[in-house]
Amino acid sequence: MKRTAASPPKMGFRDWIGWMFFVDLLHGLRLTLSYLFSPSITLQYPDREKWIPYPRFRGHHYLRSDSDGTTRCVACELCARICPCHCITVVPHTAADGERRPQVFDIDLARCLFCGLCEDACPVEAIALGQNYEFSQYTPAALRADLDQLASMPGKVDRGGYVVAARLEAGTRISPTGSTEEGRHWWQQIRGMRVKRDE
Amino acid sequence: MELTLAILVICIKLALIAGVLLLLPVPLTWLERKVAGHMQQRLGPMRVGWHGLLQPIADGIKLLTKEDTIPAGADRLLFKIAPIVALVPSFVVFITIPFGENVTVLGHEITLAVSNLNIGLLFILAVIGLEVFGVILAGWASNSKYALLGGLRTCAQMISYEIPMGFAVIGVIMLAQSMNLAEIVEAQSEVWFIVYQPIGFLVFLIAGLAECQRVPFDLAEAEGDLGAGYHTEYSGMRFSLFMMNEYIIMVLISVLCVLLFFGGWHGILLPLPPLVWFLLKVALVIYLFMWFRFTFPRYRYDQLMTIGWKVLLPLSLANILITGLLL
Repeated sequence: MKRTAASPPKMGFRDWIGWMFFVDLLHGLRLTLSYLFSPSITLQYPDREKWIPYPRFRGHHYLRSDSDGTTRCVACELCARICPCHCITVVPHTAADGERRPQVFDIDLARCLFCGLCEDACPVEAIALGQNYEFSQYTPAALRADLDQLASMPGKVDRGGYVVAARLEAGTRISPTGSTEEGRHWWQQIRGMRVKRDE
Repeated sequence: MELTLAILVICIKLALIAGVLLLLPVPLTWLERKVAGHMQQRLGPMRVGWHGLLQPIADGIKLLTKEDTIPAGADRLLFKIAPIVALVPSFVVFITIPFGENVTVLGHEITLAVSNLNIGLLFILAVIGLEVFGVILAGWASNSKYALLGGLRTCAQMISYEIPMGFAVIGVIMLAQSMNLAEIVEAQSEVWFIVYQPIGFLVFLIAGLAECQRVPFDLAEAEGDLGAGYHTEYSGMRFSLFMMNEYIIMVLISVLCVLLFFGGWHGILLPLPPLVWFLLKVALVIYLFMWFRFTFPRYRYDQLMTIGWKVLLPLSLANILITGLLL
């Protein structure tokens, strides 16, 4: 007998009975039904929720300041030198207190590839890549971040990797509505799949 | 006076049915997208209205206001009338569908069907067969290879599935001794025909799935290989007419399933109103169709033909034979 897809090679009596009563199809239906009642992984991002990234996340750069508010940057230009896409421009000058400080510190985010080498290269831990990932603009020119912008950017999160309630407000920011300390664990609790929390 | 009243009642019934059928795709598309979303661990539409309830209305407005393009090489007349030809039969069959027992309003007995035909079932099977002409016309008039192949497949599919469908129904007709749908439902007041006709129901369900061209038999509009099948070239309102037609046929098959095999408006256990029972059962069958859609892969063209001619046809014939012997 010619073998076709409809008659698989060796089928025992049980298999044959199962085939007659569409057991395979019923298995499929049961699976999709279980999915129907499982929680959804959709992140309702701009409307209701927002993802707080992990501490290792590399977002918008920021410049750290000392406790008195002066920037830590000593304008050594190591970050500008190591940058693989030459997106950092640093012009040093002598500040009022006689220290070497940046007069101009521009990062062209349109060119930046967020590799984090500037963070590694910095001798005084001034520049780092923070948690902000909402900086879309309409023109490449608007993506140039200057000294003040960099100083005002949010830094890294202490613990991350969860979803908090947030709302899209008039303007560009999606700001959390409640506490940002602890949130929903989005993809880690889907269908009983428990993943060890990334600290 | 009597005549005017009768005509008035018929007009009201027609308007009611046409209105409900035209609005029906609105909740059904919402339900389908929700079921699809949750079965794929998504949420489905969420942004327009509460849980996306107004999404189909927004889509409808979009389709109504979209530019209605006709391809350059198309047969313009056939292209324009094809959606209407497809839509009219599926509206027409609903005039014989009873939605409940006769009710008495102000001393007049009113049937809950526009026309309680004695050959209702035959009429439905005959008229619904005409729907395929619209699809074939659309495939032919579009002057597109995808549309033509879609129309071709629909044609072959309909021929191989109308026959088992008709034969599957014969068992029910033999049991009920009538082709009148109301009488068929009446005959099921004790035991639903699904108990006597499980094979008939199975054949009817599979043939019905093929009839309304839903997964796993949606070869006519197989997205993967044909673009969108017979309505590839359609846009705007004409496209939405085809979509509406698809949903109405799905509702029709669900209604027929309930009327023929699940006791129509006869309830069990719970003493709900008959119409509520009827709608509940129809909704369940519609949900079953959606469940199928997001579970099963599509059959290949030759498998479809094999199932139709080599499985369903002998099964339905055997069903008639067994039913005849047991009667």
